[in-house]
Amino acid sequence: MLSKFIRSVVQQGHANQRALAPFMTSSVRNSGTATEATFETRPYKLHKLETPPNSTTSCTRDEALTFYTQMQMIRRMESAASNLYKEKAIRGFCHLYSGQEAICVGIKGALRAQDSVITAYRDHGWAYVMGCSVTSIMAELTGRTQGMARGKGGSMHMYAKNFYGGNGIVGAQVPVGAGIALANKYLENNGINVSLYGDGAANQGQLFEAYNIAKLMNLPAVFICENNGYGMGTSVDRASASTNYYTRGDYVPGIWIDGMDVLSVKEAISYCVEHCTSGKGPLVLEVATYRYHGHSMSDPGTSYRTRDEIQEVRQTRDPIMLFKERILSADLVTAEELKKIDGEVRKEVDEAVKIAKTDKEIAVQELAADVYSNPLEITIRGTTPYDPYTHQRLSKIINQH
Amino acid sequence: MAALRAGFLAQNLYRTHFSKVSRFNYLYAALFHSSPPLNAEGMPLKMPSLSPTMMEGTIVKWLKKEGDPIQPGDALCDIQTDKAVVTMDTEEEGILAKILVPEDTKDVKVGTLIAVLAPEGEDWKTIEIPAGEESAASATTAEDTPAAAAAGGGHAHGNYGPSVRLLLEQYGLAAEQVPPGGPHGILLKGDVLKYIKEKSLQPLPVSAVPPPEVPKPAVAAAPVAPAPTPAVPAPPPTIGVSEDGYEDIEVTSMRRTIAKRLTQSKSGIAHSYGTLECQSDKLLALRKQYKNEGINVSVNDLIIKAVSVALTKCPEMNCVWQGDQLTYASQVDMSIAVATPTGLITPIVRGADFLGIEEIASQVRDLAARARENKLKLDEFQGGTFTISNLGMFGISEFSAIINPPQCGILAVGSGIVKIDENGSPVTCMRATLSYDRAGVDDDTAAAFLEELKNILENPVTMMVGGYKSQVDHPLAALL
Repeated sequence: MLSKFIRSVVQQGHANQRALAPFMTSSVRNSGTATEATFETRPYKLHKLETPPNSTTSCTRDEALTFYTQMQMIRRMESAASNLYKEKAIRGFCHLYSGQEAICVGIKGALRAQDSVITAYRDHGWAYVMGCSVTSIMAELTGRTQGMARGKGGSMHMYAKNFYGGNGIVGAQVPVGAGIALANKYLENNGINVSLYGDGAANQGQLFEAYNIAKLMNLPAVFICENNGYGMGTSVDRASASTNYYTRGDYVPGIWIDGMDVLSVKEAISYCVEHCTSGKGPLVLEVATYRYHGHSMSDPGTSYRTRDEIQEVRQTRDPIMLFKERILSADLVTAEELKKIDGEVRKEVDEAVKIAKTDKEIAVQELAADVYSNPLEITIRGTTPYDPYTHQRLSKIINQH
Repeated sequence: MAALRAGFLAQNLYRTHFSKVSRFNYLYAALFHSSPPLNAEGMPLKMPSLSPTMMEGTIVKWLKKEGDPIQPGDALCDIQTDKAVVTMDTEEEGILAKILVPEDTKDVKVGTLIAVLAPEGEDWKTIEIPAGEESAASATTAEDTPAAAAAGGGHAHGNYGPSVRLLLEQYGLAAEQVPPGGPHGILLKGDVLKYIKEKSLQPLPVSAVPPPEVPKPAVAAAPVAPAPTPAVPAPPPTIGVSEDGYEDIEVTSMRRTIAKRLTQSKSGIAHSYGTLECQSDKLLALRKQYKNEGINVSVNDLIIKAVSVALTKCPEMNCVWQGDQLTYASQVDMSIAVATPTGLITPIVRGADFLGIEEIASQVRDLAARARENKLKLDEFQGGTFTISNLGMFGISEFSAIINPPQCGILAVGSGIVKIDENGSPVTCMRATLSYDRAGVDDDTAAAFLEELKNILENPVTMMVGGYKSQVDHPLAALL
């Protein structure tokens, strides 16, 4: 079932690429490369919507370089995290985003400064595109002082301006996301909120409560199901009565997007921004993607799917490879530029890894720092009532309104 | 699908083309510059922790060879963790330049460098192995050792605590030398520190061969307040004579293997035993006859032949039990226990049922000689379908042996003992005990085999009859 699904996407993809060549228009030429190009987006599927997102999208040279750098950086970061985990430098939970990079990069590419994001625990890539430095992410993973939560949160707990974090409880971020959308509406900041969840969480009851309240109040909320084919080790076909996740909002309109194409994602999110800010209420999106690693580090990822399936996706649908081919054939960038970016990305991640391994950990007393934005009691209980900690304010509060 | 395949091909062609170009460039550089080209540094691949509790692992199989190109997501090797065999894959792209830990290396610590990848486009043959990668792993073991040595090797017979004992050992003192200051004459740490200060003692230097009363290495700690943990890494556990005269022997890997395999066998196999007693006069007479004719064979060689023939007559006994699979062997590969200076080893006389006695004798001589020199090849002592262990030459009348898995039987042969038979004439009796795996061999099968063997040993001429039973008669013929 799933392999059929992959194959159909692949064939669509190839058909599109063949159609792409005559369609591409390179407008202005500048020192051998175009400054802007137009690309066809992958076909969308619609639920309770009249007009689809644009079937073409433009991409400037700067955007192309940014998207490519971001996707490569995330891929590289996740590889480094995988290695650090296997060296036991990272302990506990660790869920990797490799294969799904086009989603966060594409969404962020269309969001504006006032828009907010909340996601689950597969959040390293999101933390990066929302403004966390590579060093702060790697150091957070290893639990060191330079981590963006000073090493106290780890893999699942990364936050930034307008990024309400990785959330450890499966699906719990979705109702919270509806609340953030309510805040945006209440504050009249014209922002929308994007809540991301996996296909595994998509069958939870609390999601439908969130859809309901969001539609009832016409909140500027976009609910995005990242369908990577497997909820932990269970394929979507074995877990969901309906695998058309974009239709699962029932009375909430939905869009299906090929999540392996960063430009298609970006174009669809631009559509969502327009939809939500014009007061039409929420949307439920399904983004078809794939994860290369296991669900988490304790899952080798090969017991419920074949190695061939993973390799086939890597060879034919990889978001970085597809985007690279697209921008190269459109003359937006040169192969040398991309090679240079690869080198710089590798260097930056290597340096971050070095810091993440050698930086020091926080003092024990700091465990009780920054627990509350407004502490009503400054004494925090330790492991027994006889060893209390004192609440301290060390970091700057973000996302406080 | 065709389009897809074509895409694959095009990509691969693109890659090969690329690597050819770069190799050409490298050659070009080598030709036109006299100085050797700078070797690019390889990407290190370390033993990964593939389960939360994994401390070390064994590489079961390398799935790539040196020189193979590596794509992200490729499986590199199968690693036996503490729980299961897990495949390790990599996110890197490049060429597997060097395998540093070969297959089947046991208990490689997590973090040990196991292989090196060459970046794409570099010549993998000249890649530099990253230095200083193993230091972290070895450092932790160095720290562990002294603690383990102190915990395991102590002889705290006096009434004093471990810190006192450590101090005494570090300064080479005996407990009686220091006046005790605690209640009921207990020696306290403070007493020892006071004594050391008064006498201005220095800790003993680290010595390779420790004196009998001070087996622990001393450390360079301050005399007044010695650090609880040694400042310098201590040597591995002391080998030598300890305080009470016990001698610690360095355990060889062969000894370790023997210990592991035999413990596994004895605790994991349903050993059953059967003993036969036979008159061996005719066998001894036959040997004498051969000797008179200039054919030099030992009693043991004759027993090997006799057991081989008995096994052909009772093929259910000539079997191997692997996991849950019972296999009847088509020929008798007889393992012979041979004592060597480092331990017992069992070289194999292959096809012993088809060999003449003289051939068996010469093979056994050759194998035993090479076993003692530790020059056996792997296939000369691995495999085998049945084992004979003979302690008759040491005058042992009867003993039982441990099965050598996956074999199902081992025969422990004792020495001949002269007895008086019912007619009052002296006869030589010999006892042999069969240990058999009850999982693969039933009691009646073992009894039938022992009866057959007894007949042959008592009437060695029947060895010449020998031969397999007709396949058709075999109760399992339909399955074969």
